[in-house]
Amino acid sequence: MIHLTDSATRWALALLLCVLAGTCLLIVLAMFRRWQHIRHMRYQHSLRSHYRSILAEALSGTTSAHKIQLLRQLPLPALELLFDPLFSRRRVPEGRLPPLQALCAELGLIKLWQQRLAEGEGMRTRPESPRGASARIPRLSPQLLQRAKGIRNLGVLRHEPSWPLLVRTLDDPHPDIQSVALRALGAIHAPASFPALLRRLHTVVLEKGATPSLQALQAALACFDLTSSPALLASLRHPHRQIRLIATDILRVMAGRNASREPDLLLGPEAISGEITALLVTDLWRDPSAEVRGHAAEVIAFLRDPRGTTVLYELLFDPQWPVRLRTVQALTGSHHATDLLLLGICDRLRDPHAQVREAAIQTLISLGGRGRQQLFEHFLTSSDPLTRQQIVEAVERTGLLGSLIEDYGQGTGGLEALMVEQLAGEAAPLGLSGVLQMLNPPARQRFHERFLRYEHFTIRLREETRWQGGSHTDPQQILDFPPILAT
Amino acid sequence: MNTMRTFLESPVAVFNIIVLSYFLIGNGFYTLLMLLALRANWIHVRRLTYQGLDALRKSALTPPVTIIIPAWNEEAVIGHAVASALQVDYPDLQVIVVDDGSTDRTIDRLVKEFQLVEIDAAYHPTLRTAPLRAFYLNPELPRLLVVSKVRGGKPDALNAGINLCRSPYFCNLDADCLLERDALLRLMDPIVNSTVETVVSSGIVCILNGCATRNGRVVKVGLPSRALERFQVVEYLRNFLCGRTGWHLLGGTLIVSGAFAVFHRATVIEAGGLRHDTVTEDMDLVVSLHRWAADKHRKIRISFTSDPVCWTECPASVTMLAHQRRRWQLGLCQTLWKHSAILFRAKYGVVGCLSFPFHSYVEGLGAAVETLGYLLLPLGFCFGMVSPLVLLVFVLLGFLYGSFLSVGAVLVEELTYRRYPRFRDLLTLLGYAAFENFGYRQMILWFRFQGFLKFLAGSHRWEKASHAGA
Repeated sequence: MIHLTDSATRWALALLLCVLAGTCLLIVLAMFRRWQHIRHMRYQHSLRSHYRSILAEALSGTTSAHKIQLLRQLPLPALELLFDPLFSRRRVPEGRLPPLQALCAELGLIKLWQQRLAEGEGMRTRPESPRGASARIPRLSPQLLQRAKGIRNLGVLRHEPSWPLLVRTLDDPHPDIQSVALRALGAIHAPASFPALLRRLHTVVLEKGATPSLQALQAALACFDLTSSPALLASLRHPHRQIRLIATDILRVMAGRNASREPDLLLGPEAISGEITALLVTDLWRDPSAEVRGHAAEVIAFLRDPRGTTVLYELLFDPQWPVRLRTVQALTGSHHATDLLLLGICDRLRDPHAQVREAAIQTLISLGGRGRQQLFEHFLTSSDPLTRQQIVEAVERTGLLGSLIEDYGQGTGGLEALMVEQLAGEAAPLGLSGVLQMLNPPARQRFHERFLRYEHFTIRLREETRWQGGSHTDPQQILDFPPILAT
Repeated sequence: MNTMRTFLESPVAVFNIIVLSYFLIGNGFYTLLMLLALRANWIHVRRLTYQGLDALRKSALTPPVTIIIPAWNEEAVIGHAVASALQVDYPDLQVIVVDDGSTDRTIDRLVKEFQLVEIDAAYHPTLRTAPLRAFYLNPELPRLLVVSKVRGGKPDALNAGINLCRSPYFCNLDADCLLERDALLRLMDPIVNSTVETVVSSGIVCILNGCATRNGRVVKVGLPSRALERFQVVEYLRNFLCGRTGWHLLGGTLIVSGAFAVFHRATVIEAGGLRHDTVTEDMDLVVSLHRWAADKHRKIRISFTSDPVCWTECPASVTMLAHQRRRWQLGLCQTLWKHSAILFRAKYGVVGCLSFPFHSYVEGLGAAVETLGYLLLPLGFCFGMVSPLVLLVFVLLGFLYGSFLSVGAVLVEELTYRRYPRFRDLLTLLGYAAFENFGYRQMILWFRFQGFLKFLAGSHRWEKASHAGA
């Protein structure tokens, strides 16, 4: 140190001065930026408050030509600033889209955004081979930001005529432009753009390093309606596993969306092409890839084709548990589950995999009376404590226990009554006490009266868990049971 | 005096070289991280304008997520955390609260607030945990499941949550944290849109003290009133906005916040889950994942983004702060020691060759080096080995460089998110950043040194910093 001192001190002193100057510079810069920001916010606020009412009228379709003229007098950057919150926040309500689109077209904004898109073609916006940290920070010039925002706006507006331009934008070297264009294409979902996106999907899967990301492509393709699905045929038949898998998954999302609109209707030839249906029930359900089989099962569950039942039944016994799981889950709430399928789902209550058993229980509950009868029957006859425990859990979690006890209190017999008696007498569900507390007093009273007959009725008391360390509470008080039962 | 001087000269000279290298490596690297973070965050904020969270929210392909909240004696804050988690805007979300054998009224509070009833449930553990005692649920709130278990520590509680979780991803959330409504969507964005398998995605943790909250949501952002908390605001900004972003860019993320991060469930299980042998299970898990991926030749990505925000309560008293920092330092040293096999191993890439050695030297040993530096410089001065000018210049340089980095962090915040909206807040932050190194840093250093000593003593004790429930 002693020898170091002189030169080191000189260096340190110089560094000290630099650091001091740097710190002051950073402080000044921070304050300057805040001042700039405040000024910008004031301008933005005055612009918006001045034109808010005109914009609101225009969006509700009640504005006059004179007021539109006022907007037209604004320079384009100011107009963009004014409209930006409409595009950057939550989705514009469906009803406001046509007037917004008309207004943007009238003010020349759509043309401006399309122009930016076209101008960007062939532009090199990214270095050839970024490495290290620079690869993780995409470059972002003001022009690129404007282009990306323009693409976003066209997507929000669902401006269908822009789709060919957007498809061409997928060749832009900047990943952000590609993903924002994909989202816009998904939002517009112009049927004519679907094959182009599919071609891109094949390229991305087959060519190493091709962009954009598969997930973004898949998400965009899944936005299209089922009417576009015939174009998927080639992908569903493709020898590459990943292409088949993604295509099946896209089909699943399309079919699911269709089914959610009309839950009682199964998909027939008028909704989904016969060729795709045939491919699903003859080939894809036997695909070498378990993932494809699983997704195929989810689509087949939506089909009206009579072969679907047999195929689904077979898939319920697939050697791979994820396929069995997906098949069972696909039948959740299905209004069209046949007796054969019901039998298959019941068999899954004995599945070696806990998740499949759990899904089977939930599916049976969701199937209503028929499914529940099968579930109760299994519970009453099964000696497998694990499955019984899972059934008790599902009965409590879904709130089914409450309705069972209410029915029991009203003197309903059958499997439901036997189920309640077994539940209370042997399995002793913890949820029972909670349900009883929530029941109306007459129903609770009737339940108590009926249970007075059962000598072995026990309730697992909760002192060791919930009441641990707390003051002792009389179990009878907790459960509101007659003394004879609170043992 | 002369004998003493001769006796001390050589060790002091060697030590001074260590201190000098520590100063140059540490501050040089922190400056690099700050510059990288400044650029990356500036660009990231602009990219957010066309990010498309809405598309992610509406997509049927967005993967389900389970928020796991481990809680131990958190009765003051648990209700807000759960309410906040349930309000998160995400298409397919479950919330699991794991009460890790609390001795206070944590469970009672949850039962009362969310009208839960005890239920029977089947438990099929994949990861070994302490036994579970009870399950609670409200059928009207099917997204929430509360579990009570025998105390086994935070990693054990998280492992129990992982066992119960059915979604491909889980998000761990501390019981003293509040999430912003779109935080989870923002956290999942890098996972969904990445071309590389992203197994961890973490966001920024901001200080809740001083903010106004309603029903588990932050409704007004403000600075805390006490100096101790304000210094922590600056510190968090520096650590998250600069440190974490910088390391993410270099591909050497070693630490993700245990308070708020999303993990790929199957990968965590494959890597052995969370372990009990360190007191910072979050860092241990991340390093384990790096090791696991390198050993299995798997290419994974651990992502950090600065826009998903989780608000957390920081210690409001010196005692609580001391507990927290001792634990962090102890955990850091334990983890670095445990995984020391990856040090300078090319197989582990940036993590093994850059990030791990840096953390070991600057963050791990740094507490001891810096503390001893503070002790030895005056000693050298007393024995006439250091001139007053040298002492003054080096001490001032050390202090001012820290201020430079802290002010830089405030500038990054100002150029990007501007979470503290008032001009007065900015001035306050700049002031605290400038003076952070004059007293506060030394206090933190002392706590870290204590943590280091605890590590040397082989301690494994978890020091809990309690929360006031602000």
